[in-house]
Amino acid sequence: MSTFVEKLRSYRKPGYYDEFDYHWTMTIDLDRCTGCEACVVACQAENNLPIVGEERFAQSREIKWIRIERYWEGEYPNVKMGFIPMLCQQCDDAPCETACPVYATYHNQDGLNTQIYNRCIGTRTCAVYCPYEVRYFNWFTYTWDEPLEQQLNPDVSVREKGVMEKCTFCIQRIRIAKDNAKDDDERRVRDGEVVPACVQSCPTEAMVFGNSKDPGSKVSKMMKNPRGYKVLEELNTSPSIVYLTKAHS
Amino acid sequence: MSKISRRDLLQYIGAGGVGAVGGVLYGESVQRNVELLIPQVVPPDDYSPGVASWYNTVCNQCSAGCGISVRIREGKAKKIEGNPVHPVSQGRTCARGQAGLNALYNPDRIRTPLQNAGQRGSGSFEEISWGDALATVGSRLGRLKIENNASRVRLLTGRVRGRLDELFAQFMGLLGSDHYQQYDFTYPSALMAANKTSYGTDVLPYYDIKNATFVLSFGADYLGTWISPVHHSLAYGHLRHGQEGRRGKTVQIEPRMSLTGASADEWIPARPGTEGLLALGIAHALVSDGRYQGSDRDEWSTALAAFSPARVSAETEVSDDKISQLAREFGASAASLAIAGGAAAAGTNAVASVVAVNALNHIAGNLGKPGGVIFNSEQAFSSAAASRPAGHQGVLDLTEAMEAGDVEVLLVHDANPVYALPENVRFQQALQNVPLIVALSSFPDETTEMADLILPTNTYLESWGDDVPDPGVGFPVASISQPVVAPLYDTLSAGDIVLSLARQIGGELPIRMRWGTMEEFIRDRWREEYNKRESAGEAQEFEAFWQASLEAGVWGQPGADSGGNSVPSTSSTIASIANPVSMFAGGESDYPLVLHPYLTATFLDGRGANLPWLQELPDPMTSVVYGSWAELNPATAAEMGIKDGDVLEISSPTGTVRVPALTFPAIRPDVVAMPIGQGHKGYGRYAGDRGANPIHVVANQIDTQSGELAWAATRVKIKRTGEKLQIIKTDGVTRTLGRQILAPKNDHG
Amino acid sequence: MFDHGQPSYAEVNKDVLATMLETGPKYWILLGTTMGVAGICFFMPWFYQLIVGVGAAGMNRNAVWGTYLSNFIFWIGLSHSGTLLSAVLHITNSPWRKAIYRSAEAMTLFSLMTAALFVMVHVGRVWFVHWSFPIPNQMGLWPNFRSPLMFDVMAITTYLTASSIFIYMGSVPDFAAVRDASTGLRRRLYTIFSFGWRGTAREWHTLGWAYTFFAVFVVPLAVSVHSIVSWDFALSIVPGLHHTIFAPYFVCGAIYSGTAGIVTVMYCLRKFLHFEKYIGQVHLDSLGKLLIALSLIWSYINILELFSSWYGGTSFELEALKFRLIGFYAPLYWEMILFCAFVPLLMLSKKIRWSWNKMLVISILINIGMLTERFIIVATSQPRKFLPDAFGFYFPSWIEISITIGSFAIFATLFLIFIKWVPSISIYEVKETLKPLRRDA
Repeated sequence: MSTFVEKLRSYRKPGYYDEFDYHWTMTIDLDRCTGCEACVVACQAENNLPIVGEERFAQSREIKWIRIERYWEGEYPNVKMGFIPMLCQQCDDAPCETACPVYATYHNQDGLNTQIYNRCIGTRTCAVYCPYEVRYFNWFTYTWDEPLEQQLNPDVSVREKGVMEKCTFCIQRIRIAKDNAKDDDERRVRDGEVVPACVQSCPTEAMVFGNSKDPGSKVSKMMKNPRGYKVLEELNTSPSIVYLTKAHS
Repeated sequence: MSKISRRDLLQYIGAGGVGAVGGVLYGESVQRNVELLIPQVVPPDDYSPGVASWYNTVCNQCSAGCGISVRIREGKAKKIEGNPVHPVSQGRTCARGQAGLNALYNPDRIRTPLQNAGQRGSGSFEEISWGDALATVGSRLGRLKIENNASRVRLLTGRVRGRLDELFAQFMGLLGSDHYQQYDFTYPSALMAANKTSYGTDVLPYYDIKNATFVLSFGADYLGTWISPVHHSLAYGHLRHGQEGRRGKTVQIEPRMSLTGASADEWIPARPGTEGLLALGIAHALVSDGRYQGSDRDEWSTALAAFSPARVSAETEVSDDKISQLAREFGASAASLAIAGGAAAAGTNAVASVVAVNALNHIAGNLGKPGGVIFNSEQAFSSAAASRPAGHQGVLDLTEAMEAGDVEVLLVHDANPVYALPENVRFQQALQNVPLIVALSSFPDETTEMADLILPTNTYLESWGDDVPDPGVGFPVASISQPVVAPLYDTLSAGDIVLSLARQIGGELPIRMRWGTMEEFIRDRWREEYNKRESAGEAQEFEAFWQASLEAGVWGQPGADSGGNSVPSTSSTIASIANPVSMFAGGESDYPLVLHPYLTATFLDGRGANLPWLQELPDPMTSVVYGSWAELNPATAAEMGIKDGDVLEISSPTGTVRVPALTFPAIRPDVVAMPIGQGHKGYGRYAGDRGANPIHVVANQIDTQSGELAWAATRVKIKRTGEKLQIIKTDGVTRTLGRQILAPKNDHG
Repeated sequence: MFDHGQPSYAEVNKDVLATMLETGPKYWILLGTTMGVAGICFFMPWFYQLIVGVGAAGMNRNAVWGTYLSNFIFWIGLSHSGTLLSAVLHITNSPWRKAIYRSAEAMTLFSLMTAALFVMVHVGRVWFVHWSFPIPNQMGLWPNFRSPLMFDVMAITTYLTASSIFIYMGSVPDFAAVRDASTGLRRRLYTIFSFGWRGTAREWHTLGWAYTFFAVFVVPLAVSVHSIVSWDFALSIVPGLHHTIFAPYFVCGAIYSGTAGIVTVMYCLRKFLHFEKYIGQVHLDSLGKLLIALSLIWSYINILELFSSWYGGTSFELEALKFRLIGFYAPLYWEMILFCAFVPLLMLSKKIRWSWNKMLVISILINIGMLTERFIIVATSQPRKFLPDAFGFYFPSWIEISITIGSFAIFATLFLIFIKWVPSISIYEVKETLKPLRRDA
């Protein structure tokens, strides 16, 4: 009993997550982002996102783990466009995690919000609680027109109706990198060894991904950029994604 | 209750057993075929189950020639990424490149050779065997060759580079027809023609956006659709934050904000068709400021005298101040660069406009230096680089020949002219005069629908080939395209079809075209190239070279002599800039708005419309999916009482399309813009029959100097039809409402 | 207390038991109709939805909660008054409670059941809904006790259990009365139901003690249940939902709609089961006064909610407020204000308070208003969250509308079955209120 209490206490210790090895973090430089949406298709290809069809789009039921939001500023002719890629912010204090009654979403030791599809019963509370609206629900079981299903990534499960899904920071790639590192003399994952599909595809290199616990990693350096900020920071969700705001020449 | 005897019991057990076995058998028989996770008992030798392998090849979704790596698991393609060692893509891809898998696994692919089984264009086809199909074509071509009528055979292809281009040319040459024509709507033909005027050669120079500090783009959507978007995007990232303490500036001049315009620091909506004039106005300011010190200074100041800021400002509707500010920045920047493309290079003044921009580069001293316009040295694999200008004039000639009945066999490969030509070219009608139309295509489209015979081709992910990126990257580079998966269906690559046809026709063709397969041909040519470079080429060494190139997907010589030089020709340049304003089809009073058709980053000229991932990709600027629309300035829309979703009838002097309206904040009030790409009629289930094709209403005007289609030189009028159509968008509200989204709070106040 | 003269003990027994023992064709027609409507409007669409997915409903990515959840809150709310009112009035010893509490408690029970059904309809994978209970399993997986939904599961199951015990316990002497008045199978059944009740002093004493204990126990429970339901919303950070006032707001709203529901049920009992003798003006008058008080509290909380949204002054809250007050669903909002804040003020007039027909109309209007309130909470907050790009719109599909209609039929079915199995007026407690004049019972 006492050990059990000890264990429970340990969870409440401040900095509990600091004891773990990695904290996956992303920076997105809005001054580089051109809104080309290569990341959106890359994600769709990597993570087996369904092709939902025109009708579902009309009903706002698309599933895009990463989307580009666009915001106009000013009026013609002094009008400007701001693109911002919006994906799960992998918040350290995630509102979604407290929402789930069955623990289908939880915080893993790498600082990721993970979604366990098999455990999800589809209350959709997490999606209501998420201020970034990056959780997508499977309103239907989607199918692929033959032979498009041959493209499906065998490392990622295909979701069925009634299940919530969201960006995982390509956790399958993280796992492979970790396994490789472990096989390779139990070393740690090196910087740049693992990149999510969106980061990999980004033609302007606007996105940087890495372990923010490693002070030498590229992402740690990018996070120190004075242009850095977090979206809706006032909500105190402690996102793991740092955006770099647009600069001016 | 009577007792059950032992005999009865046995009987019951027996009957029950039979029933159970029967039930199981029945259950088994109605079950679907068992799909195994790993379908082989004996492991295949070309892959290990559960282990991914990567194969490098070349992307063919546009003409940029990006190197790609394809992830293969259990013999199936899973993911496309950029080839990290390829100098064009450097490991990156665009949305279209990623969606290549949708082309490979497209459910609408043509799976066997097909023969027209009804009225031409009715869309009813029947399957035939490859033997019959090739024999039909081969005998027809052979007969024409024997009759010395081979010039009645025409070959029209999309943009084809590398050895396939060579093979086509050789085939047509041996057949005795010099009518091998390429047509690609996106091809920057005007740019080539202008470069010929300015620099004496029709090449695409390398625009060094990466090292530039000030990029002034006249209509060129270089981040979305222009020439090599991935490469430009890499360069753009570097321009912005690639170097410590320096951030390059970009300015975009175009009537409707493109993807590139959205990323630019300044977006200047000059009057459509006057982009060249604006360039000359800036040049005038530079020369009159004394910034230009070249020996031909006087010639230039005389030539530019007519382009005073006052005149230019009045005609372009860009203020004096803005012109002089641009001139100041352009002249003062460490590395400035002006580029022209898109609608600015698609007026009746296309060449004049681009030449004017070239002149601007010349006057600012941007030629041949980092961050400017760099001319490539002689290409690697020179013959592979020999590409034909894909010209509009050629298509017009072809149409004329078809109308005149001069074409007996038309071979169409990977091109969709029925879709991508203005309706008043009357290409589709002219096709009726051709006795035999043979389409080489992977997908059914508007052009294959008109064909008598469809020879299904492999997609680029199942084909052998090679490519030399154009423009080059500053040093000799060539890439190999290899099949990353076995062909899914009973299809052949275009190269193999040509080789088979050569064997069918017989005569000298199979002797001169001796290769059994496209693979052999590519190897043979690469061996030649290798031998040319390494004088003591031994077979063993070539094999190693070939394997290494195949594995890397690309061969190159970084550091090899770069920077061929080109001397701008002042006189021809000055001669062609005299009239840099585009003329529009349709009078201003009858047709008050300028139609601005634009290529989209998703569909390009419509070829991407059959890929579901691209259909489901929200348009970068408007977030619209599955459909097309006409963009109007909110002021114009309000004036005409048009609301989003109102179906408009857009009429040009040559045609009419119906499309829903969408207000767009970043477009000139006198312009209506329409994306190209939708409005297909027979391009598979995903393209469907949705939206409208603006190319069809473009008047068939040509650029006066090059003969290229002036697709941005049509005026239109719009009328509300009273109908409503839902435009499917993923956007909610597109203003930040002062929320901390694009910048930290303190920035917004 | 009694409008038409006091009945005798025997009459009480006869009148009440008559509703159970004598069944005319009208009852069967009515029961058949409600069951049919429940089947066609509720279960068939639900099965369709089970097959295709929750996408059969109108929810989308901008509003993942829809009418299913708003109906859930509505039914939970409706459940409130029964047990709560009964318990409070029992503790405070209000004699007018005794004629109405049984059916009020039944209302609680059945609306809770209907609400629970909506949870089933709402979730994406109802076949795994048992995972939300802390059932020991080989993987050692527990529910997430930080989740307000988990609180909900706990609160509602506790409330359901307590309410069931409460109503059952109060019915035991009446079951004995049924037992005594019936023969055959029914007698055997009610012998079991009545736990062998003999009516000894000791039994009466134990019942009284236990009943009071439960009454005390149920009151905080009832308050907690709707507070907890409100936390489903209030613990999110969604603008328009993230208000500290939500718990009292929901509790007040729940009692409000529940009380109005009791008026409606009372009307029906009077009308169809001929309980005119037992349910009289005094009940109506008391409930009317209660409704006025509740409506004033409800209005006050609404004003507070608007004020705090406005006073907060953030773009988030203001935008949500704007959408609610002048957006697409504004007509519904103002309808709710009219029905729940203004219409009940009519009851200030005694003439209206004493008129059964007028009170029926008002009580139904109040519940329409409360149903709307729940819908508005769900439909106007989620589509106006934090990122304007993700602003959206929600409109229920015909399946949701049909299931909503069907849920009323389910409630009615359960109630109709109830009146044939349990005396819908507490026989022994009504007797307690009779002046002991005659001893012929």
